[in-house]
Amino acid sequence: MADTSALELDRLRRAFGGVVAVDDVSIDVKRGEFVTLLGPSGSGKTSTLRLIGGFEKPDAGAIRINGGRVDHLPAYQRDTATIFQTGALFPHKTVAENVAYGLRMRGVARADIAPRVRQALDIVRLAGFEERYPAQMSGGQKQRVALARSMVVRPAILLFDEPLSALDLSLRLQLRAEIKRLHDEIGFSAIYVTHDQGEAMAMSSRVAVMRSGRIEQIDRPEKVFGEPASEFVYTFIGESCCLKTQMASGAAADADGATIDLRLANGLADGDWRLYVRPSRLQIDRADLDNRLKARLDFTEFLGDVHRYHFKAGRIELFVDHQGAIAHRPGDLVDIGWRSADMVAYR
Amino acid sequence: MSGASETAALDSPAPRRTFWSAALMPWLLMSPALLIAIAFFGLPILFMGRMSFNAHIDQRFYVPDFTWDNYAAMLTDPTFRNAIWTTARLALISSIATVIIGYAFAMLVWLKPKRWRLAFVALALCPLLISEISIIFGWWMFFPKNGLLSYALVSSGLITDKISLMYTEFAAFVGLTYVTLPFCFFILLSIFDGIDKKVLEASADLGAAPLRTFHEVLLPLTKGGIAAAFAQSFIWAVGTYATPSALGPDTLWTIGYLIQEQMLGKHNWPRAAAFSIVLTVGVAIVMMIIRMLSSKRTALNG
Ligand SMILES: Nc1ncnc2c1ncn2[C@@H]1O[C@H](COP(=O)(O)OP(=O)(O)OP(=O)(O)O)[C@@H](O)[C@H]1O
Ligand SMILES: [Mg+2]
Repeated sequence: MADTSALELDRLRRAFGGVVAVDDVSIDVKRGEFVTLLGPSGSGKTSTLRLIGGFEKPDAGAIRINGGRVDHLPAYQRDTATIFQTGALFPHKTVAENVAYGLRMRGVARADIAPRVRQALDIVRLAGFEERYPAQMSGGQKQRVALARSMVVRPAILLFDEPLSALDLSLRLQLRAEIKRLHDEIGFSAIYVTHDQGEAMAMSSRVAVMRSGRIEQIDRPEKVFGEPASEFVYTFIGESCCLKTQMASGAAADADGATIDLRLANGLADGDWRLYVRPSRLQIDRADLDNRLKARLDFTEFLGDVHRYHFKAGRIELFVDHQGAIAHRPGDLVDIGWRSADMVAYR
Repeated sequence: MSGASETAALDSPAPRRTFWSAALMPWLLMSPALLIAIAFFGLPILFMGRMSFNAHIDQRFYVPDFTWDNYAAMLTDPTFRNAIWTTARLALISSIATVIIGYAFAMLVWLKPKRWRLAFVALALCPLLISEISIIFGWWMFFPKNGLLSYALVSSGLITDKISLMYTEFAAFVGLTYVTLPFCFFILLSIFDGIDKKVLEASADLGAAPLRTFHEVLLPLTKGGIAAAFAQSFIWAVGTYATPSALGPDTLWTIGYLIQEQMLGKHNWPRAAAFSIVLTVGVAIVMMIIRMLSSKRTALNG
């Protein structure tokens, strides 16, 4: 049984009234895997997690934890532990009591609870905070208590529902690294919900991109980024410029039909196209590359590491991330080039 | 923690502000509330205390004097001792019932989706919009032999002969509970509203069955509210006179009844004042006990 999955979702479905929040979702989380559900607001990430945790009942489909069906079990009989967005610590209990709670409910012997609580607090670097109340802790500390409280019961699967989204950026990055470290050290299985693609890319074994209740693609982060399965995945992950063009017998025009100076290495069939390139892959003054577009420089933004140059070609707007200054001023006509491998086209 | 309080202590006292103005500040800020409290609560009690030492001679309302007679009379008067017992029992039972019903009702409203809320709150407000006297008239149509209750019980087949519950201690108890329930409900609802519902899910998530969650999480978090709701129901039930005497049996002599009898029937103001003082002190003691019991650990201080 060593190869059993920690969690299997089999064609899970849940509708609220007319809204299908979770639509035919199947995921197989192997032991020790860290799977992220990534998607825009309302795509059904939280609903999926709540189905797994037992806070909602599925309309159809099966949930198996360590190989056993659980979808008929109430939340308190499932071997899962959730880290909530707001922490949801018990305000009337100390940090130590909060962490001990799950152990007590699972009937762990009294003598074993104290050392396990201490160990869990050590792991999240909160040793010495045992006697504090949640109200006396900072937001980041509270989330670490929540993490300890869930991890200490060693559930078959940990469920994270945007645990970092209420924190400020630096704390978010720090805790993100910490969760990653804990996963590498302890090897727990987890489903992590987020709408922050950076988080998803940085922490996950696999990323499931969700859209209106369905999984559009589930794969390793590099694959999802490098080989997106659909236009939605491509545009949702990473930044991209969209070139809306009409092709007619080899000549290109913008959405209004005005001719633009666009050369493509591989000709496209006639019709309306959406071409996408990442702003970091667009290059300025490179008429020599396979594909190129003449566009007028509109304005410049300074982003810190790079400058972002905004261009216009007819109705098409695009931006190029480039390190350092360029020799053009707003209004100049500039050659922008990119390699064929860096472009995708959808119609 | 100590670091934070040290820095706070270092930069808080403005050097030019004198000790006196700093010490006076809280009092100044409280003064409007204090004035109102003194004018409307402190002075009347003071007057009442003074009145309780006056004498009652020749059917005059009172004669200025300083005597302990009124208090001494209470110790020997079995009617008064019985009244204390009756009042306490009635207030206790009806307050407990109020808190239990109010708690269940408030929890239900808190747990239900928001769209039900307005209807429930409006429902709870209704009794507050009707005067106590009108409510008593309502009960007069409800409890008697030909009243609604009897009719409902007979027609539902639960009993065969019509019954009257009018002028029973049960009717007094129901009436009192009904009067105190809305306040209790709103106090408890405000306490529930201060709780993050996610803690219930967190508790279930960690393996606690619903009853366990109630006992471990919900009850401790609402303890302060239960105490407050109980206290206010109890004060109300002890003090109110109209409802129990209108619905209860003629022999239901509460302290409230005795006070009105002394005041209006026997025109003995000093005796009525002494009864009132004892009642007030008794309630104050109960309040202090409730506070002591409930202040150990609540959502507010922990
Ligand atoms: N209890 C509910 N009752 C009715 N509709 C619901 C309920 N829960 C979720 N929905 C709907 O289901 C859809 C998916 O919601 P869900 O909370 O799963 O999205 P999400 O991906 O977690 O979004 P977010 O990033 O905003 O948290 C939404 O359209 C939402 O309105
Ligand atoms: Mg969500």
